[in-house]
Amino acid sequence: MTVGSDVRTCLANIKNIEATLETLSMQTNDHETKKALNSAHDMMIQIKSDLTEQLHKLINEEPQYKQ
Amino acid sequence: MPELPDWIMIIVRSLILLIGLFFITKWLGKKQISELNTFDYISGIVLGGIVAIHSSTLQFPLYYALFAMLIWFSIPQLIKFISLKSKTFRDYTQGKSTVIIQNGKIMEDNLKKEGYSTDDLLHQLRRKDIFNVADVEFAILEPSGSVSVLPKKDHQPPTAKDLGLQLAPHKEPQTVIMDGKVLLEPLANLSLNPTWLETELEKLNVSLENVFLGQVDHNGQLTVDLYDDQLAVPSPTEMPLLLATMKKCQADLELFALSTKNEQSKQMYEKNSQRMQEAIKRVERYLK
Repeated sequence: MTVGSDVRTCLANIKNIEATLETLSMQTNDHETKKALNSAHDMMIQIKSDLTEQLHKLINEEPQYKQ
Repeated sequence: MPELPDWIMIIVRSLILLIGLFFITKWLGKKQISELNTFDYISGIVLGGIVAIHSSTLQFPLYYALFAMLIWFSIPQLIKFISLKSKTFRDYTQGKSTVIIQNGKIMEDNLKKEGYSTDDLLHQLRRKDIFNVADVEFAILEPSGSVSVLPKKDHQPPTAKDLGLQLAPHKEPQTVIMDGKVLLEPLANLSLNPTWLETELEKLNVSLENVFLGQVDHNGQLTVDLYDDQLAVPSPTEMPLLLATMKKCQADLELFALSTKNEQSKQMYEKNSQRMQEAIKRVERYLK
């Protein structure tokens, strides 16, 4: 396993978390729960954008990892 | 109707009076028999007597019985009305509660006044799972005859507040399937529709006819009980799985931060790891 593919897996997991959080926040009818899930969802978006940027950097640095 | 034979008259009267008695009992309210106050008790006995006498004694007209029942129905209602208005009257008619243990000490005089023996007291405490009188801070004898007990703080079961736990708010679940039939009103209360229910059932791989009971909690998770107890239903895993994935990602990010040699990347990973940690902290209690 290379760093690039590790980061790629992690990014996929983050996307999964983001989607699940959004689904759950839509399903719940409790206001407080919804707020907490939404704030976590926003954080996931931030992490996602950082990781995507990092992944681009890695791909540029090590073109052989580009899949 | 004098031409009818007596036995038919008795049946007819009994049925009419039974219906009357049924409605009076209904209107008297939802109190348990054991919670009846003195007046409810007395009027209950008298109403029974009236019905018994008039259903078998045919020389009195039926409206005598109905009139007497009406009077005895009104008396407890009147007493109830006055009780609601006046505390003094209430104390007198319904009785006051008596303190029997205060600051961990038994009030012997009060016990004697209420005609309550030590054995009675111990019996009542045992019913509250207290076997040692020394564990009791405060106990009071209610007018109904039961004893309410406040154990000493160190003998009370800890609450979430005592343990400093933060818990997610909990709301009542709604029953959406009963005997294989969808109940639309509870579904609407959760602003869900039957199509959603069908999808959830499909996810669990069960058919609607096979479901004996289905409930949805406030997070929108469906749990079902099937007619066929041999079938295993998967329990909802979405939330624990989400939490586990979040923890895994956080660990991954930390690992990346440790393994990279690029200072800028390291900082980026660390920052995001902390973000993930914060996100986990925020949602953890709702996902458990």
